[in-house]
Amino acid sequence: MDQTHASSPLAGAVHDLATEVVLALRSGDHLATVCGAAGIDEENRTGIAAARVIGADLLLPSVLYGRHPHPGDVAVLDRAVREFPPKPDAPAATAWSHWHMISTLQRMAQPPGTTGTTGTASPGTYEEPDAAWLEQAPWQSFTHQLSVLAPLAVPAAPSAVQRAAAARAVDLARGFVRAVRRRDWLQAAGAGRWLAAIGGEPATLGLERGLDFVELMGGHDPRVTLHVRAARLMAEARAR
Amino acid sequence: MYTTDTTATDIELDLDTALNPGEIDGVYRDSRECAYLALLAGGGALLLSPPTPRPKKG
Repeated sequence: MDQTHASSPLAGAVHDLATEVVLALRSGDHLATVCGAAGIDEENRTGIAAARVIGADLLLPSVLYGRHPHPGDVAVLDRAVREFPPKPDAPAATAWSHWHMISTLQRMAQPPGTTGTTGTASPGTYEEPDAAWLEQAPWQSFTHQLSVLAPLAVPAAPSAVQRAAAARAVDLARGFVRAVRRRDWLQAAGAGRWLAAIGGEPATLGLERGLDFVELMGGHDPRVTLHVRAARLMAEARAR
Repeated sequence: MYTTDTTATDIELDLDTALNPGEIDGVYRDSRECAYLALLAGGGALLLSPPTPRPKKG
């Protein structure tokens, strides 16, 4: 990452980490270590904070390709969960992304044939945060918040957020169009990822072409590419 | 990867902002980008529909 183009060390580390996730998604290489490639280990606090921002998407290549994650990536995600828990007054989206990191660790880092938690440090039972606020949110802020929570848009990971998204697919489609018109490529990519995960968008939306456009215009941000690539992989899986 | 010295407070402030970004200000498409969409969209009717009216200033 060229430091002169990053607004902060954390932004640079997030950029590097997202870039490596995109590369792993493109290659489908289950042996790839995302964090190692980005130069992040458990002792690097800025890197751990970046892992907190990327969240469970750190393991997205393993989730979407159905492979076991690299132990180094699991260790970094686990450290991020412990190092940066949500504060008591944290917004709901922060609590949800933290919850999803734990949920993903418990689901993905579980050795075959076991039923409990891994013991790698992921906390045990952790109840879902409240999601009632999503049901009442206007479609514009609903789409914005869902886009922030785009890492939760993955297959076989049920949550109240995912149920809220499925119940408001048309609102998400409206939000996707609004984000494109506003040139908010990251929000558009996140909303498109949700639509690819849950389905149910109006056929007139043209989601596939819309995602092409979002990547064309916003692909300089690897987080945009990450969401678009995730959306395509999920759409392909749904079509099979 | 960055190796610059950064205080814990700096990181936590940046992290809070990164985890809860506000919406960016809308910047609407110009006609060249609309042309891109026309080429790409095929049957995508919604993306090509007229832009939402912007609020008037003053």
